[in-house]
Amino acid sequence: MRVPLSWLHRSVDPGLSAEQLASTLTLGGLVVEAIHRPTAGTRGVVVARVEAIGPVPSSKLSLVDVYDGREHHEIVCGASNFAVGDLVPAALPGATLPGAVRIERRTIRNVVSNGMLASARELGVGDDHRGIWVLEADAPLGADLSEWLELDDAVLDLEINPDRGYALSIFGVAHDVAALTGAELRLPELPSLPLGTATGVPVSIADPDRCPRFSLTRIEGVAVGPSPAWLQRRLAAAGMRPISNVVDATNHAMLETGHPVHAYDLVRLAGARIDVRQAATGETVVTLDGVQRALDPGDLVIADASGPVGLAGVMGGASTEVDETTTDVLLEVAAFSPTAVLRTARRLKLFTEASSRFEKTVPPQTVLRGAARCAALLTHVAGGRIIATDDVWPQPAAREVIRLRTDRVRRHLGMDLPDQRQAELLESIECRVEPSAQVAEGGRALEPNEGLLAVTPPDYRPDLRIEVDLDEEIARLHGYEQIPERVPCSGRAGGRRPAHAARRRVREALAGAGWTEAITFPFIGPNDLDALGLPPDDPRRQTVALVNPLSQEESRLRTSLLPGLLRALRRNVNRQAADVAMFEVGAVFLPPTPQEPGADGGADGITLPAEPLLLGLAACGHFEALRHDRPARPADLADLLGAADTARRAVGLPLLEVAAGTEPGYHPGRTARLSLEGTAIGVVGELHPRTIAALQLPARTHAGELRLDLLTAEGVRLAAAVVPDARPPLRFDVAVLIAADVPAAAVEAAVREGAGPSLSECRLFDVFTGPQLGEGRKSLAYALRLEAGDGALNEIDEQAAITSIEQAVARRVDGRLRRDDSAGAAAQDQRR
Amino acid sequence: MSQAPPANPEPLLDEGRERFAAASSLDELDAAKASLVGRRGALTAVQRTLGGLDERQRRDVGARINAVRAALAELEEQRRAVLTEERDRVVLAAEAVDVTLPARTARRGSLHPIHETIDAMVDVMANLGFTAVEGPEVETDWFNFQAMNIPVDHPARGMHDTIYVQPPNPADPPGSVLLRTHTSPMQTRTMLAQGPPVYIAVPGRTYRQETADATHLPVFHQMECLAVDEGLSFADLRGTLAELCRGLFGPGARIRMRPDHYPFTEPSADVDAWVPAVGDWVELLGSGMVHPNVLRMAGYDPEQSSGFAFGMGVERVAMLRHGIDDLRSFADNDLRFFSSF
Repeated sequence: MRVPLSWLHRSVDPGLSAEQLASTLTLGGLVVEAIHRPTAGTRGVVVARVEAIGPVPSSKLSLVDVYDGREHHEIVCGASNFAVGDLVPAALPGATLPGAVRIERRTIRNVVSNGMLASARELGVGDDHRGIWVLEADAPLGADLSEWLELDDAVLDLEINPDRGYALSIFGVAHDVAALTGAELRLPELPSLPLGTATGVPVSIADPDRCPRFSLTRIEGVAVGPSPAWLQRRLAAAGMRPISNVVDATNHAMLETGHPVHAYDLVRLAGARIDVRQAATGETVVTLDGVQRALDPGDLVIADASGPVGLAGVMGGASTEVDETTTDVLLEVAAFSPTAVLRTARRLKLFTEASSRFEKTVPPQTVLRGAARCAALLTHVAGGRIIATDDVWPQPAAREVIRLRTDRVRRHLGMDLPDQRQAELLESIECRVEPSAQVAEGGRALEPNEGLLAVTPPDYRPDLRIEVDLDEEIARLHGYEQIPERVPCSGRAGGRRPAHAARRRVREALAGAGWTEAITFPFIGPNDLDALGLPPDDPRRQTVALVNPLSQEESRLRTSLLPGLLRALRRNVNRQAADVAMFEVGAVFLPPTPQEPGADGGADGITLPAEPLLLGLAACGHFEALRHDRPARPADLADLLGAADTARRAVGLPLLEVAAGTEPGYHPGRTARLSLEGTAIGVVGELHPRTIAALQLPARTHAGELRLDLLTAEGVRLAAAVVPDARPPLRFDVAVLIAADVPAAAVEAAVREGAGPSLSECRLFDVFTGPQLGEGRKSLAYALRLEAGDGALNEIDEQAAITSIEQAVARRVDGRLRRDDSAGAAAQDQRR
Repeated sequence: MSQAPPANPEPLLDEGRERFAAASSLDELDAAKASLVGRRGALTAVQRTLGGLDERQRRDVGARINAVRAALAELEEQRRAVLTEERDRVVLAAEAVDVTLPARTARRGSLHPIHETIDAMVDVMANLGFTAVEGPEVETDWFNFQAMNIPVDHPARGMHDTIYVQPPNPADPPGSVLLRTHTSPMQTRTMLAQGPPVYIAVPGRTYRQETADATHLPVFHQMECLAVDEGLSFADLRGTLAELCRGLFGPGARIRMRPDHYPFTEPSADVDAWVPAVGDWVELLGSGMVHPNVLRMAGYDPEQSSGFAFGMGVERVAMLRHGIDDLRSFADNDLRFFSSF
C-alpha cells in the first residue's frame, strides 16, 4: 500500500517528517518498507496557456507560443496533441524535472526553444508519454506546478499483514496514525446516498456467505474524460495508472476507503439485472485485461442476463467496461468472503488491487462508505447525477461485543496497565468501551481486582474478534518497546536429549579428526540408486516420492546419504580440491515397517515414513594434512575405519566389530561391515570401480554409512574408570604366523583370549609377508601389556601367557607363534 | 707379602692439565675425564693400589690422590665452562632450523556452520532451561498447518509454498503428507504428549518449494522455541529473546519488537536485533504469545496456561554471525567455504 502523505494529511497530520512517521508506523505494526518521492525535485515548471502553434522549418516540430500569465515563451515541441487555448506544463529555462533533469534554453533547427513542454511521464505523474500533458481548463494559469500539485510529496510504501486489511486504505492508515501519535483524526464527511431500488437493476445474491452485502449506485449523465491533474498525480503517487475520470474515481475511493469499487456502463449491461452467483461449468468471461477466462463452479461471478460480466472481487469484465462514450454508470461496492476471492485469484493467478483487499477481509458494515466516497468524487470530476443506491444486505450483522478482562491483559502482557489506560488505548482506535456487568464468563464470580470491559470494535476492524486480539492492540498502541524484559524460570535444567547430545559429540570428534561436515539436500533422482549399483530388490529402492519436487533429479526422498555426499565430493574435486574427507549426519526416509515405524501421524492415523539418522562418510585423495617433509599418503580403508572408531569412542562405546563383507557399490575385497555388540551398524569401504566410473569420482574414492541412531541411542555411555596399577606392567611381543586370508580381527581375538583377563593392551605393530614365511602365509606381530590387579607379574607369568596364547592361536585360527629372533628384532624398532 | 712401590698420582695432574686443555669438544672432555677419573680411569687405578700399602703410606698416598682428584675436577670444570660456552655459541647456532616452516598439524576438519549455529542456539536456550527436541521432517498437513491455526483456506497458506509427499500409505488422502514448512509441528507433538509446563527448543530442517538464490533456499533450517506454563507473559518472551540475542551476537546486542501477524500467535511480534558486528538493526525472527486456539488444539486450557513461541531462521543467524551474504554458500558444501570455520 502506497500512502502519499499529502493525501493522508487531509485526514490526520501529526506534524512528523516522513521518516519519523515511517518509524512510528513500523513500530506500531504497519511496516514501512520504503519512502519514495516519485515527483520530488520538480522546479520551474508552470501552468501555461498555448497561444499559438507554428511550424519549425524543415521538421515535424512545432514552435509553440505559451503564456504563463506574465510573459510569453516560445518553445519547440515535437508533440501535437494539444490546441491553442489548452493549459500545459511548461518547463522554463533553469527548470528541473524528477531525476534531476535540467532544462535549458537551446537551439533546435536554428530555432531558439525557451524551455520544454512536459508530458505526464516526464513529470513522474503516470506513464502517459503520448503527448504533452494537457491540464484541465480551470487549472491556475501561471501557477508553479510543484506547489499546485504537491509534487514534493513523500509516499510511504507499507507492507500490510494479512490481519491488517484495514490498512490497505488511506482512512485505515489515518486511524492508526491518529491512535499512535495522538493527532486529531478528521475523516471527510460522507454524503448520504439516496437509498432505494430506483437503480432499475435488481440484485440477487445466491450465497450470502460468500457475498454478504452488495450495493449498486446508479449515476446518470457523466462525461468521461481525463481526470483533473491533482487526481492523476495522486493516483500515480499511490502506484495506480490514471485512466479516465470515472475509473480514477473508483480507484481513488478504493485507495481511500479500502472498498474496491467497480463501474459498469449501464447500457452495456444486458437485461438490467445483476446476479451474484457461482459460475456454471463451461461459462467464460473476458476480463478487463482482455483475457478470456474459463470459469469453474467454485468461482463467484457477477452476471447479467447474458452471463458472467465480472469475477467477484477479482476483476470486472470487458463487455460492460466504461469508455469515453459512457454516460450512465452503475457503481458496485460489495463485500465478498476472503476465501471465495482468494480461491479464484489463486486459480487464475490473477492478483489485483481488489483481490488483495478482499483476501484480507473487507467488512460488509462499511460498504456504503466506499459507495458514498466514490459517488461524490465521480460526480465532482465527471459530472452526472446520483439516481439511487440499492443496498442488498440479507443478514445485517452488528459487531459483537468482546469481554475484556483487564487483569488478564496485565498478566498476559506482563505490564501494569490500569483499566483506564486500557480503555483509552482501545478508544483511540474507535472501539466502544463500557464497563461490563460484573460477572465473568461462565457465571464465575470476579476476583476483587478483576475488571471487565465490554469492548465493541469499530466496523473498520474486522480483525478484532476475540479477547487476545485486543491484547495485541493494547500492547502495540501502548508500545511494544514499553514491555519489560523478564526471564522465565522453567523450573528444570534444560539441555539436549541423550541421543542428541551424543550426536553432537560424534560430529565434533569427527571434525577434530579431520573430517568436514557437509549438509546436502535430502533429495535423490531415479538414476542415483542405479549409479550406486543397488540391485532391484534392495530396500533402499523403496523410496518416498514427492508430489511437486524441485526437479526430476530431486523427485524422491533419499534412502542413502551417499548420492548427495558423493555429489558434494565430486563438486569439490571439480573445483580442484583433490583431498576431500566429508561426513554428513542426516535422516534418510524409508517406508515404515513394524520394526522401523514412522512418527505418529496424528488423530487421522496418517502413515509417515521412518527417518533413521545416518552418518555418511566420503573421502578421496590424501587423508593426512600435506607437509613438505613427509610423503603424502592416500586415504584408504583404515581412514574410514578410523572415522567409525572416532564416532564410537566419542559416545563411549566398545570397539566395533569389523568383518570383511560385500555391499552393492563397494569394492568386493575392500569393504568392512561394522557391528556393535552384535548389531549391524554399517559399512565402510572403497567404492567399486564401476560406482566410481558411474559417478565420475576420483579413483579409490572411499565411502561409508553408519546407523548413527543406533550408535547414539542410549546417549553417551559413561566409562568405568580403569585405575592403573602402580606396579610395573609386563610388556612383551608375540608374532603370529598364520594363513594370509585369516582376518586380523580373528587373530587379535585369539591373542586376547589366550592372554586372559590381565591383558590391558594389545596393539598390532607389524604385518609381514615374505618368502621365508612360505607361500600364503603372513605374520602379525602384537605388542602386549599385561597388568594384574593383585600383584606384580614376573617372567613365569609371561611364559604362561605366551603358552596360553600359543594354544589359543592354534585352536582358533590355526596359527603358531614365531620364534625366530631376527624377525622379532626387525620389528622392535617399530614397536618402541 | 712384597711391598709394591707406592704409585705416584701427581703425574696424572699434569697429564690431565694437558689433556683437558687439548679437548676441543665436550665429548672429548668427557672422554678425557673418563680416562683419568672414571671407573676405569688412571687415577682410579692408582687408587686401587692403596690396598697393598701399609697404613702410613696409604694415608699419605690417599691424601695425595684426593688432592689430585680435586685439582683435576677443578681443571675439568674450568675447561667445561669454556667448551660449554663455545658449544652454546657455535654448535647450537649451527643447529638452527627455519622456525617459520609450516606447523605439523593433524588434518583440519570443521563443523558445518549451520549445525554449529544450531549448537550455539541450543546452548543458549538450554541455559535458559529449555530442552531441545526434534521432530520428523516429513509431516502431516494436520500437524504442519491445521494444528498451527492455519486451516485449509487460510490466506497464510499462500506464504508457504509447500512440497507435498506421496503418502507412504496409498490409502491416506493426497495432500495429507508434506515436508514440514517450519519446525512448529513439534510444538503440537510435544504438547499432545505432555502437559504443561513445556519449555522446548526445536531445531531442524525445513522445506519450501522455492528456487535457490541469494536469499532463498528450498531446504533450510529453523529453530522454534515454545514455553507454556502458568502465568507466562509477553515480558517473559521479551526477556528470553533479549538473552538469546546476547548469547548469539554478544553482550552489546539488543532487541526491538514490532507488531506482526502469525496465525498461531496473538499478540505477535517481529523482532529486530541490534547486532554489534553489523552495526545496524536487522530483522531476526517472528514471535508471539501462543494463540488460544493452538493451546486448545493441543488439549491445554488457555485459561490455565499461557505461553510464548518464536521461530528463527538458522541460516539468517549464521549469516549475521559470520558475515555471509549469499544463502547458497550453505548448500554448496565447498571446502574452501568450510575452511573459514
